[in-house]
Amino acid sequence: MTDAELIAKLQADLGGRIEIDNPGPRRLFLKIAAPDLVPVVTRLRDAFGVVFLSTISGLDLGATFEIIYHFSTPTQDLNVRTEVPREAPRVASITPLIPGAILYEREIQDMFGIVVEGIPDGRPLLLPDDWPAGQFPLRKDWHYDRPVEVIPGGES
Amino acid sequence: MLDKLARWSRIKSPWILHLNSGACNACDIEIVDALTPRFDVERFGIILRATPRHADVIIATGPVTRQMKDRIIRIYEQTPNPKFVIAVGACAMAGCVYRGAYNVMGGLDQVIPVDMYVPGCPARPDAIIDGVVKLLGKL
Amino acid sequence: MSFNIPIGPQHPALKEPISLRMTIEGEVITDADIRLGYNHRGIEKLAEERNWIQNIYLMERICGICSHSHATCYVQAVERLMEIAPPKRGMYIRYLVSELERIHSHLLWLGVAGHEAGFDSFFMYVWRDREIVMDLLEMVSGNRVHYAINTVGGVRRDLDETQKARILDGIATLRKRSEYYLHIGANEPSFVARIAGVGLLPKEQAVALCAVGPTARASGWDRDVRKEDPYAVYDELEWQVATADTCDVLGRVVVRIKELLESYNMIEQMIKKLPAGDIAVRAPRKAKPGETVSRYEAPRGENIHYIKANGTEKPERLKVRAPTLGNYAATVFMLKKGFVADIPLIFAAIDPCICCAERVVTLVDGRSGASSLVSLSDLRRRALDRPANALVKGKAEWPF
Repeated sequence: MTDAELIAKLQADLGGRIEIDNPGPRRLFLKIAAPDLVPVVTRLRDAFGVVFLSTISGLDLGATFEIIYHFSTPTQDLNVRTEVPREAPRVASITPLIPGAILYEREIQDMFGIVVEGIPDGRPLLLPDDWPAGQFPLRKDWHYDRPVEVIPGGES
Repeated sequence: MLDKLARWSRIKSPWILHLNSGACNACDIEIVDALTPRFDVERFGIILRATPRHADVIIATGPVTRQMKDRIIRIYEQTPNPKFVIAVGACAMAGCVYRGAYNVMGGLDQVIPVDMYVPGCPARPDAIIDGVVKLLGKL
Repeated sequence: MSFNIPIGPQHPALKEPISLRMTIEGEVITDADIRLGYNHRGIEKLAEERNWIQNIYLMERICGICSHSHATCYVQAVERLMEIAPPKRGMYIRYLVSELERIHSHLLWLGVAGHEAGFDSFFMYVWRDREIVMDLLEMVSGNRVHYAINTVGGVRRDLDETQKARILDGIATLRKRSEYYLHIGANEPSFVARIAGVGLLPKEQAVALCAVGPTARASGWDRDVRKEDPYAVYDELEWQVATADTCDVLGRVVVRIKELLESYNMIEQMIKKLPAGDIAVRAPRKAKPGETVSRYEAPRGENIHYIKANGTEKPERLKVRAPTLGNYAATVFMLKKGFVADIPLIFAAIDPCICCAERVVTLVDGRSGASSLVSLSDLRRRALDRPANALVKGKAEWPF
């Protein structure tokens, strides 16, 4: 179905819970509130056949973190976005619906410090074993000072 | 006498260990390419070994990531003396595009002593063979 | 008696540092775990400090084997943000290099798969033929790996008539050789028996775990970004999505060989249809604020980039999800039902590009909890010894 038809069906089905944006062909951005995440994803999976999750992106917007779930079907890409406040970044896990989401949720836990509730396996994914706790590299206020290099046989 | 024999066999047929410390893989496939029929280093007696304990030369690629740092030191210590280290590619020399990243040490010589640097991104197999030959010529 | 085997970050079989911890009882793997992080270089953070053009070179170096796929996916997204469209000739050259890269990657994989199954002479033959593709790429772009042919708004180098003729010659030679390998594969019963039934991934699991690329297509799920999200050139060519339905390593080999043959056809069509014109348009320095998602079918699966721009010349956020990460959950599932001797084969079958993600192998003893290290070469030796004693699937057919 075309973009317009899909937008109409989504509005009819999910109505007030979502705001839809269609910036280009085959790209839809749906904005929902954080508590609505699991019901909306369940509805998308059951009624619209949306089963394939490409990845989950995190974004640091200052006062809030934005989390975008990139789904796709053979005809459109649906990107579902939600925001959580910076002081209490908690979001529900969608692994009961889509088991393949586990690695992406572990990644946003690592990189942003967003706590995913109900995640079956919450270990760090990418950061090394000796990484200090509480340091989340992709936050905008996290900076890194490179240690001074030692050039063998020369001056630093 | 035995000393001369040992040194001759080491020069004539170095056994290599390939170590990837977080690289993008381009230098690694060029190293494996050096074994394939077009460049064929096996005719020089160079063979890729599985374990550090059999190796004479460590060929390393990649900017050293923080997670790999201790493992590299351990592998370097497991290799018996005399050993040589060749740093292949711009990443192993100084970090290439990843300089300044939070997880990257920036160059292999920050972690283990290096004997030969082979530049390139990625280094061509001809350049790698040239590097190995020049290193052996210094022995 | 079960025990743990860690396969360390340095091992000969896989060219990259990886870590898997597996719990085994005898020869059967009861649990598998993946530890990523050895290859994590912090590229997303670095990308926020570099401008749009510098980021092309950073994106290329995410991976050496699929470098053009990352650069192209990024450039597609940036062009959409800047609302510019490269000219037709530039698009054709860009996707011509994409298909050449797909050929080089599949031939590389075919050699590695032969090596993991014990067929070393096959490995040497295939990599010798891969040199033909490397020469073509060097002729077109100037470098064997990391082609750097993309720029925002088009490509940097043009093709002339002699180059086109040489590409067609090279493809004709490769096609003959690939058909020879197909013949070997189909008529070599020990090779087929070794890889049939290994690493089973039924279709429901492939869908639930969001597998991508040939791993998913070998389970009968025909998702290919080039058909679904046709970016410029692919809807003007005639080609088909390659699938198989045996759900195992044999299916993945079949899918990749079919894709090789499709790529040869596509390259010939592209060379014949190459339009005249410019190869690039001028791009502005700053991108308008906005966000976009760009998807691309890399040799290993779907590559997705999400970029958010805020009106300056640097991206606000650049998110990359490489295809191998999407296949990890499926790999853990496949390993849990397999034998220790099959570990190298199952791994090689998803075509791991660890620099897009990475690991080490650790086998954990189920009962005692002790862990021990086994190098992947030891595992491969056990893998090669096993078929002599295992039940050979003598009736395994080559489903082509």
